[in-house]
Amino acid sequence: MKLTLADYLVILLYFAFVIAVGFIIKKKIRSSNDFLSSNRSIPLWITSLAFISANLGAQEVLGMVASGAKYGIMTVHFYWVGAIFAMVFVGLFMMPFYYGSRARSVPEYLKLRFDEKTRGLNAISFAVMTVFSSGISLYALAKLLEVILKWDFDISIWLAAGIVMVYTFLGGLTSAVYNEVLQFFLIVLGLSPLVIVALHDAGGWENVKAQLQPQFTHAWKYMGHTDTNPMGLHFMSLIFGLGFAMSFGYWCTDFLVVQRAMIAKNMKDAQLTPIVAALPKMLMPLIVVLPGVIAIALMTPALQSKGYSIPVNEMGGTDYTMTLPSLIAHYYPSGLLGVGITALIASFMSGMAGNVTAFNSVFTYDIYQSYFVKRRSDRHYLRVGKFITVAGILFSIGTAYIARSFNNINDFLQLVFSFVNGPLFATFLLGMFWKRTTGHGAFCGLLAGTAAAALTHGLTVAEGKGGWIANVYEIRSGMGQAFIVAAVSWIVNFVTTILVSLATKPKPEEELKGLVYSLTKKPSLGTTRWYLNPVTLGVVLLLVTILLNIIFF
Amino acid sequence: MYKRLNELNFVIGLFFTVVSLILLIDNFFAKGSPGNLNLYTGLTFLIFGLFMIAIKTNRNAE
Repeated sequence: MKLTLADYLVILLYFAFVIAVGFIIKKKIRSSNDFLSSNRSIPLWITSLAFISANLGAQEVLGMVASGAKYGIMTVHFYWVGAIFAMVFVGLFMMPFYYGSRARSVPEYLKLRFDEKTRGLNAISFAVMTVFSSGISLYALAKLLEVILKWDFDISIWLAAGIVMVYTFLGGLTSAVYNEVLQFFLIVLGLSPLVIVALHDAGGWENVKAQLQPQFTHAWKYMGHTDTNPMGLHFMSLIFGLGFAMSFGYWCTDFLVVQRAMIAKNMKDAQLTPIVAALPKMLMPLIVVLPGVIAIALMTPALQSKGYSIPVNEMGGTDYTMTLPSLIAHYYPSGLLGVGITALIASFMSGMAGNVTAFNSVFTYDIYQSYFVKRRSDRHYLRVGKFITVAGILFSIGTAYIARSFNNINDFLQLVFSFVNGPLFATFLLGMFWKRTTGHGAFCGLLAGTAAAALTHGLTVAEGKGGWIANVYEIRSGMGQAFIVAAVSWIVNFVTTILVSLATKPKPEEELKGLVYSLTKKPSLGTTRWYLNPVTLGVVLLLVTILLNIIFF
Repeated sequence: MYKRLNELNFVIGLFFTVVSLILLIDNFFAKGSPGNLNLYTGLTFLIFGLFMIAIKTNRNAE
């Protein structure tokens, strides 16, 4: 892939704009609250697009196109089963507690609802996970640029990290959020022409369907048995593992996304943020799944004359991760090629900035201010927040180099993250909806859930992975294994939390007002128009999602 | 105009307008671009960019 002057101009323009946004926002930063939590002043359209954009990192964009090529239309389950329902749920039922409790972070909510040790466990694990995620994102960006553009690995790492550092250091969370919205439009508008031109080249959707095996163009029809679909999953594993444990665990408890709703101007906007974000999320498969499906169709005998193929990896197998870059290289002329490359860079930087801003909020509020230096001036915490931003970026760079040295560290870290994230939703569900849940119960439940996740992985094998204790049970796909690990960890956490809570003393009800459903006054929505009413909008979105599942059954 | 830089929609609109100009100028000089993809995308970006610039937001709200 060779870039021309026009391509470089687009890339440079993007870099200039994201840095300029940092300088513009800098003037508005006067307190630690402005820097770390945007002083709860961001309008709905920005919080909604930032909510979805924080999840639109490189792993999402490249990974979903790759999955589209590998598994076909079944990849839409990550959206129409694994996202929309949880996004509507967090908006309707959980935001009133996150926002209404005035907590500045998810770990701080845990402190208010349970106790200090539960907050500490969640804050430390989250801080470590975000800094590693940010580093992996940086590594993947530099690796991609090295492979497709022959750019120097070190220069790519330091340039991308330097730009993210400048705009997050200057404008904090607001700057990251504003750039996420710019990145959202860039990714969507930058990749849309690719879908149109590739689909046209493949002879339209009907021809794509005609060329592919039916398992690749039906979302549910072949899920009655693990042997009949490309993912090797039974529909029950998908519904409980992805649709419940993993999906709700991520969208409802991960501070990286929840933070975008917590900076809304008022309760109604905070509730609407994930619900409004669910609309573009629902349509996102058009941008990130469809190109993968088209790519596979273009490689069938009838369309081989189009001259497109997915590159092969060092082992001689299909390198699905390169599906999107290879489509961009195949179809985009100079100029637009720069837009496509910039969209990829934007997705990496968006993921990294999201992680860094979530990391500095949690580190400053939940670790530094809670355990190390209490009751200092706001100016002190603002300085610490800025220092932590720089430190977070430097840690990410270090992690990126570790990832380069150890090929398997990415898989290992993703696995550890799933151990920590999988059971978390059970803690929040019980904490918000059962007033009897105690701090000891939540803490023990989290530990037991994480241990159960590790144990399940150690006793099952899928695609050669897992089984590091004993090979007790074989699972056909790695994805199926991930769903089962999440489901088991969720159940163990749920049961342990209930049992320990029943054996320990709960907090007085007076202290739980605003933190537990049954003890909290329901937020009044006033006389809003139907399309701005979270309940109505949420129901409409759920019905459309069900309809989409039926259409692509 | 300087004050409007505080509005995110204006910044996004400005970005896409400039990108559209790069695409349109590149299309003008690079004859024979396959399917005039730069032209159509450039025009789409231009319309989107100008639309975003034209939207008036409540500055206090932002």
